Amino acid sequence: MGFNSFKRALWAYHINTGSCNGCDIEILATLTPRYDVERFGIVLVGSPRHADVLLVTGPVARQMASRVKRVYEQVPDPKMVIVVGNCGIEGDVFHESYNLVGPVDQIIPVDVYVPGCPPRPEAIIEAVVKAWVKLEKAEQGVR
Amino acid sequence: MISLPFWNPVICIIAFIILTAITGLFISRGQKKYKKGTAQTEIFLSGEELPTVEQRHIKSHNIYWGFFKTLKQYYDPTVRAHTGIINDFIIWLIAIVALTAVILLIAR
Repeated sequence: MGFNSFKRALWAYHINTGSCNGCDIEILATLTPRYDVERFGIVLVGSPRHADVLLVTGPVARQMASRVKRVYEQVPDPKMVIVVGNCGIEGDVFHESYNLVGPVDQIIPVDVYVPGCPPRPEAIIEAVVKAWVKLEKAEQGVR
Repeated sequence: MISLPFWNPVICIIAFIILTAITGLFISRGQKKYKKGTAQTEIFLSGEELPTVEQRHIKSHNIYWGFFKTLKQYYDPTVRAHTGIINDFIIWLIAIVALTAVILLIAR
């Protein structure tokens, strides 16, 4: 990939909105030596204020709605949101639960969807690459 | 004869300038795209709503919790006046210094 505008490393912040942890484990698997996304400069950071990409898992429980919105607002522009897993996309097995206010795109705008229960690490990495390409275009728009 | 450790204020000033320059370099390399006045410039508290500035202070009783526990009966009447806000503490300080000065003037 030859990027002209977004030249720095891509930093991602991960938020769990009520996931069963399956997708979260797969996100962590992308950092393990088998996949090792850090060699491309993709790092999970501890604050949304440092992030370019927001990784969201889970179907958004009622208590998490305001939190996920606040975290989204704290990510500097331009930003991308990736929903990882079926729960965040359409609620999956929890879709009829009384305690859900999701899916994620009902709360915040979403750029890339990664279906799966849980999705494979390869799918998550491909989603991050897609978000990176979108960020590159967004950066060009900002300039 | 007691030998004093090496001390040179010029070296301290030079060290201060170098450290300031390094700090300035770090700050200049930071994220510049935060929109002021939005959530992007607020403190991140795991997505929780940010408390007011007064509530964010580490209150003095956090440091002296042991004394508070043992001397609870003594502290309880005075604890209401201790808000944890530095401005209030300075007002108390000024008031007590003024009172002491008045007492000393009368005693004289």
